[in-house]
Amino acid sequence: MMRKIEDSPLYGIANPKSIAMFGASNKYTAMGTSILTSILQMGYEGPIYPVHPSETTVLGHTAYKSVLDLPETPDLAIMVLPTRIVPDVMEDCGKKGIKYAIVVSGGFKEIGKDGAVLEDRLKQTADKYGIRFLGPNCIGAVNTHLKFNASFLPCEHPPGFIGMASQSGSFITQMFAYLGRYGLGFSTGFSVGNEANIDIVDCMEYLAQCPNTKVISLYIESIRRGREFIDTARKIAPHKPIVAYYAGGTEAGRRAGLSHTGALAGEERVYDGVFRQSGVIRAHSIEELFDFCWCLGTCALPKGNRVIVQTHSGGPGAVAADACARNGLELPALSESTRQNLSEYLPQTASMNNPVDLTFTKNNMDFFVEIPRILKAEQNADALLMYLMLPRRNITMFIESTGLSTEEAQAETEKFIAEQSRQLAEEMLASEKPWVGFSYYSGESPFIRGLYDAGAPVLPGPNRAARALGAMVAYKALLEKLNMSEE
Amino acid sequence: MDIIDQALARNQRALSEHEAKKLLSAYGIPVTREIPAVSRESAVDAAGQLGYPVVLKGAGADLMHKTESGAVFVNIEDEAGLAGAYDTVAERLGGAFEGVLVQEMVSGKRELVLGLHREPQFGPCVMLGLGGVLTEVINDTVFRVAPFDEAEARDMAAGLRSRDILKAFRGEAAADMDTLVHCLCTLGRIGLEHDSIAEIDINPMIITPDGGLRAVDALVVLKEGKDDAEN
Repeated sequence: MMRKIEDSPLYGIANPKSIAMFGASNKYTAMGTSILTSILQMGYEGPIYPVHPSETTVLGHTAYKSVLDLPETPDLAIMVLPTRIVPDVMEDCGKKGIKYAIVVSGGFKEIGKDGAVLEDRLKQTADKYGIRFLGPNCIGAVNTHLKFNASFLPCEHPPGFIGMASQSGSFITQMFAYLGRYGLGFSTGFSVGNEANIDIVDCMEYLAQCPNTKVISLYIESIRRGREFIDTARKIAPHKPIVAYYAGGTEAGRRAGLSHTGALAGEERVYDGVFRQSGVIRAHSIEELFDFCWCLGTCALPKGNRVIVQTHSGGPGAVAADACARNGLELPALSESTRQNLSEYLPQTASMNNPVDLTFTKNNMDFFVEIPRILKAEQNADALLMYLMLPRRNITMFIESTGLSTEEAQAETEKFIAEQSRQLAEEMLASEKPWVGFSYYSGESPFIRGLYDAGAPVLPGPNRAARALGAMVAYKALLEKLNMSEE
Repeated sequence: MDIIDQALARNQRALSEHEAKKLLSAYGIPVTREIPAVSRESAVDAAGQLGYPVVLKGAGADLMHKTESGAVFVNIEDEAGLAGAYDTVAERLGGAFEGVLVQEMVSGKRELVLGLHREPQFGPCVMLGLGGVLTEVINDTVFRVAPFDEAEARDMAAGLRSRDILKAFRGEAAADMDTLVHCLCTLGRIGLEHDSIAEIDINPMIITPDGGLRAVDALVVLKEGKDDAEN
């Protein structure tokens, strides 16, 4: 495995100091224009050189007739061109001395024989000049920490910690808004397309070294370099978690064989084995892929599978307990010392079983800080799962009742909620045991919004939270297996 | 390996059961004690050497699914039973009949299936599953890409839904995990060392009451085309 991130063929693609842009014009319907617009909107700071046969400027940047006319050799070429001219443009880039490219254009191997011939020519041309390229047939790459978004949708989420390599461009671009909603974001994302020159294994190696990436996410339809995937992932997984969603896991993939083994070997089963053997955590939906990344990127790893559920509402607590049971998590009884420590905070109506159902607390901070502190110290538990809600109206009413005007009370409410979410997020993120929230509220609640913005994991509903905790427990088990192999 | 080369030279699509077991046995995979026989008399002799009860199976180069052809008799108690079974199998197989295989009778309540197949992107893959006649219906299987180590093989067993049958079960001892792990790793090795082997089935691999393992039936499918004979 490579030692330095600069050695990766993806370094120049994700960190270009200057760009040659092919296929952007002043026509807003062109896909190239859309990509250049994304680059400009995010505020990329390096020089951009549009290359265009007839325009003199493109989106306000001086355009050049040929790449050979550029005043310097850019780091990266981005091509959004008609298929047939791509190999020739690659040739010109080679002559200019460009070493990295993103080929967005489609119409290659994915359309059949003629396209495959053209793709071979493209590969040979790149090899001749030592050019490494992403694609073809991809939507590009994004590095939010460099304000570099070479994709055709705007990326408005703040720089994040999820590194992604995807065999579908949609799960880069169309996730920008989805992740942003939860205060999450990509650190770097690669759409790998046909993987003619750079594949998903190369992406994993890059993301493993990427300092802004805390967790690697993969969208996979087919692994091309099987053995390399397994060996590379096994080396990365002990240091950085890898989560994969595999599509195509249907029984239709079965091959006929003369043996029972051949007949039983559906792709779904084989990939399941490959992921386990690789130390890769498997997610079963795109939502789950990012749920797992969220928790793995923000929480400490659990030492075991014992969870305390804290709630002030019976139903959500019961549902959380049920979800835990279905995801291999246990709810241990509280020890005597924990019960004693809790007693001063609990009203008569509360339950000291697990789920710990507080019904209500005299002081909000008891629920968010003091009680979790006691529960986290419980020796019989490895993680804390907490039901979260803080209804604005009731707080305003309470504050008004102390004699403030409605306007004053509303302002106080905002301040109070912001302070609560700030303190809670701080406690959650500093916790030595994983501490995951769940809620049926989302960004429309200022309390939940505050938690998202501070980076705390608050998953939509108890099932998704329990699945994510289960995934963290599974990752811990994978690490133990990998360590055993190393000994 | 000689067994494979000879089979390829004869244009066989698969090794005979006896050849398959010789191959597996050479790699330390435990198989049934068995003796091939081409006459009723030699079959009776073989049974005498093995000790009753025995199993008698029809043998033939093109015979891949013996049970479905009615060419398997189990739990034969004596010479008369053996002679009768021999004659019935010879009659049922007709022109395909080339002899019989007489085996020790192995019993146990638990049956596993172990196998090997190849995936274009991953190469040889090893399977472990719940074996026996319900294998396809129950479909409880796990796979790993070869090569893999012992920790991985143990994780395979832990990944079965019915993993608890490997523990002590209805008066029978827990399965010998060291041997199971050896068999799994070794199947992968066979796949890596012999390109001309396309697929392997060991079904059933019986877990004996003392927890031991024994391959009771085995199929080794060879790759098509004789050009890829091994050197």
